[in-house]
Amino acid sequence: MLNSDFLPGYLSQSENIEDLPKQTDVVIIGGGLLGTALSYYLAKAGVEVTLLERNDLNREASGTNAGSFHFQIALHQLTENMTEADDKRLVDETKLMLDAAKLWDDIEKELNADLGVHFTGGFMVAETQEELQVLRDKQRIEEAAGLETHVLTGNEMREFAPYMAPDLSGIAFCPREGHANPLLVGPAYAYRAHEFGTQIRTNCEVTRIEQITGIPGYRFKVHTNRGVILCNRVVNASGAWTAELSSQLGLNLPMGLSGLHVNVTEPREFFLNSMIQHIGRRLTLKQTANNTFIIGGGWPSREEKFPLRYSNIWESAAGNAAVAVRVLPMLKDVQLVRVWSGVWAYTNDFKPILGESEKIPGYHIAMVPTGFTLGPMVSRMLAEYMTQSGTQNLLPKEFHVDR
Amino acid sequence: MKTFDLVIIGGGPAGIAAAATAASHGLEVALIDERPTLGGQIYKRVGPGFKVKKASEVGKDYYLGEKLIAELDNSKVNIYFETLVATIENSEVVIIQNGKSAEKLAYKKLLISPGAYDRPVVFPGWTLPGVITAGAAQSLVKTQRVLPGSRIFFAGSGPLALAFPAQLSGYGANIVGIIEAAPRPGILKSIRIALSVLGNFDLLRDAAKYQFHLISSRIPMNYRRIIVSANGKNRVESVTHARVDKNWRIIPGTEKTVEVDALCIGYGFFPSVELFRLMGCELGYEESRGGTVVKLDEWGATTVANVFGAGDGTGISGSYVAIARGRLAALKIAAELGKISESSLSKLAVGLRKTLNRRVKFQGAINNAYEIKSGIYGLADEKTIICRCESVTLESILPVLESTIDPSVVKAYTRCGMGMCQGRNCQRQISALIAEKAKMPISQIAQATPRFPTKPISLGQIADSNVSSEKYFIDAE
Repeated sequence: MLNSDFLPGYLSQSENIEDLPKQTDVVIIGGGLLGTALSYYLAKAGVEVTLLERNDLNREASGTNAGSFHFQIALHQLTENMTEADDKRLVDETKLMLDAAKLWDDIEKELNADLGVHFTGGFMVAETQEELQVLRDKQRIEEAAGLETHVLTGNEMREFAPYMAPDLSGIAFCPREGHANPLLVGPAYAYRAHEFGTQIRTNCEVTRIEQITGIPGYRFKVHTNRGVILCNRVVNASGAWTAELSSQLGLNLPMGLSGLHVNVTEPREFFLNSMIQHIGRRLTLKQTANNTFIIGGGWPSREEKFPLRYSNIWESAAGNAAVAVRVLPMLKDVQLVRVWSGVWAYTNDFKPILGESEKIPGYHIAMVPTGFTLGPMVSRMLAEYMTQSGTQNLLPKEFHVDR
Repeated sequence: MKTFDLVIIGGGPAGIAAAATAASHGLEVALIDERPTLGGQIYKRVGPGFKVKKASEVGKDYYLGEKLIAELDNSKVNIYFETLVATIENSEVVIIQNGKSAEKLAYKKLLISPGAYDRPVVFPGWTLPGVITAGAAQSLVKTQRVLPGSRIFFAGSGPLALAFPAQLSGYGANIVGIIEAAPRPGILKSIRIALSVLGNFDLLRDAAKYQFHLISSRIPMNYRRIIVSANGKNRVESVTHARVDKNWRIIPGTEKTVEVDALCIGYGFFPSVELFRLMGCELGYEESRGGTVVKLDEWGATTVANVFGAGDGTGISGSYVAIARGRLAALKIAAELGKISESSLSKLAVGLRKTLNRRVKFQGAINNAYEIKSGIYGLADEKTIICRCESVTLESILPVLESTIDPSVVKAYTRCGMGMCQGRNCQRQISALIAEKAKMPISQIAQATPRFPTKPISLGQIADSNVSSEKYFIDAE
């Protein structure tokens, strides 16, 4: 069984310093959660895979998020005037979350690794009567999809979560939610993928993807700073940089980027077992195994060009802190020790981009806005598609690459 | 929000001198300091409830400090005491005054003079109670009249290794021993220092005075020895030290152990470059000036527009250099804001430059004579805690160094540097470990991404409910 001790240094045991293979079946670009998970599922099914990462594995969004499972319907999924079609869409989206939940149930057994997976439940809080109504509407949809949530108000709420501000209008609690250690999941996939024969190269940056003809069985020449590799299929799993790389091939992906701000506090005695979100304002809040509080929820940070990391904006720290203190008043006296920022890649409809391009056969994309929660599952879906010779109906239409 | 001509961060020698000079030329100045009194470390005043009865017993720095601070008395400088700087963005300094919510001060020009902090030295037992840095011991004595112990051992290097125990002993402390890692100054070195001393007689006199004091007080002083470990169960009970080679590596078999109840560590200082890093100022690396230093032009301008630096926070050069640098920067700023003409700027600068050159020369000779050697980074054993906030030991860091030369990766995998000190204690040691493993100079090792806040601040003080989160909703359309 792998535990966190496997992490440091495990790559140096591999062939990382060796030259790139001359050819392979699948080149996966990007060593984040999707790339490593996909390489695992493909290699396990016997596919020849080479995984290329320009930096170290798991260093961007995959390793810099808070590791939460977001299964409840959240703020960004709602629209101003909810229609019946929206309800149906939300039922489908929630069912997808439930599939992801099942994968997380089994992931530690699947990878034979301790990944810090815990199902400790999650809150969604409401401040106003309108927001409370949204919690109730949301619960109805979640119930239809099969996701258990409870809405609590008044004394019932105060008894269940005595640490929350007593004047909140209500809270929803979803026992199914939880978290894993984001520093371990991607690397554990990579470790097992490597055992199944995946070639992994870090510090290997893809500079150009060239479509080629004339060499049977090979459709692409992938150029990197460490040489050239021929392959039959390419999967672009480069997260925030997916669109940039795809535009080289003339694909215009419906996605955008945003830096996300995170506040981290000093440690305090542990009491908060469940993550807290807000149905009307930007907030995610949890107490970690190190007893610190991690506070975020979609506050922006400033864009910087790679390799610089997105820089933080004071207003984001201040606004985010205000919402957190409003919901959990004890935080008022807890000290902010540091902040960080990760890049969040989103699609215009917040749905994954997953599958093979019809315009460029052999070119695949794996990109998902709620990456940590859904990443392993969409990777498995794509691996199934790729190993069952292109039956597109394995993947939902609305995930289509050329949409 | 108020816009100042000049906002100065740090009320030590550089900041006070700059504030006084700028105000005397009609600039509207704000001076920010995190303590309740001015003076920085060297001119630190006595704490609340204490009074200086006999100034002559407190030392020369006390006089110099009072004289400098008095320059501010009749000026209109707005002093923000007990105020932290959380961050700086858009030509605004975000400040947190004691107990209050965050506020912003806008500036036309900014001078950052945050000073330095004691170089943390990692060796077995360095986290034991009773082990204290020289600066902290000095603060205890200066502000509270408290001695750190009754049998005090001093381990260090540099001029402070003489001056500080002498000062402490002057306060009645029982110093049981001093070790200096550098060799006893030979004739050549003494001549080199002496030559640089022309016009620096007072400094040389100080050194001689300290030396005399130590000899007359019969305090044993041993050269070429370094701290090996602080020993004890719940606090320091003894210290072990040993002879070193020219790179300060321990020569086995030369260890000696002394019973003590306090160990003062004084191997120099690190410049507090956090704000410069946050602002993107170009930095350099000079081990003899404390490691990471700030690139400044002859007036103290950084590579970021309208941002100046002065004092030990830009690279260790001592208080005299800090004062001259502070005044030069203030004059340049006054000229840039049209308060004095270019010609009077050059005139006013002449005297300052003379002092500055003289002092820089002296300080340079001192710094070179006492340059920190790489052995300082090699004292830890496998069980030694490297990151004291998160209790991370050397043995849990070593495996990570197999696969990365990036301190951010080490941080992510081990939590080194994630604690309350924000990496001030462990990050250089991490860089040194990486450098040694990768056979690279330490100056080439990347540093973790700079992030605010520069000191921990409560969420209640940061929280601003006027920031609308709606403004920030991502617009997907």
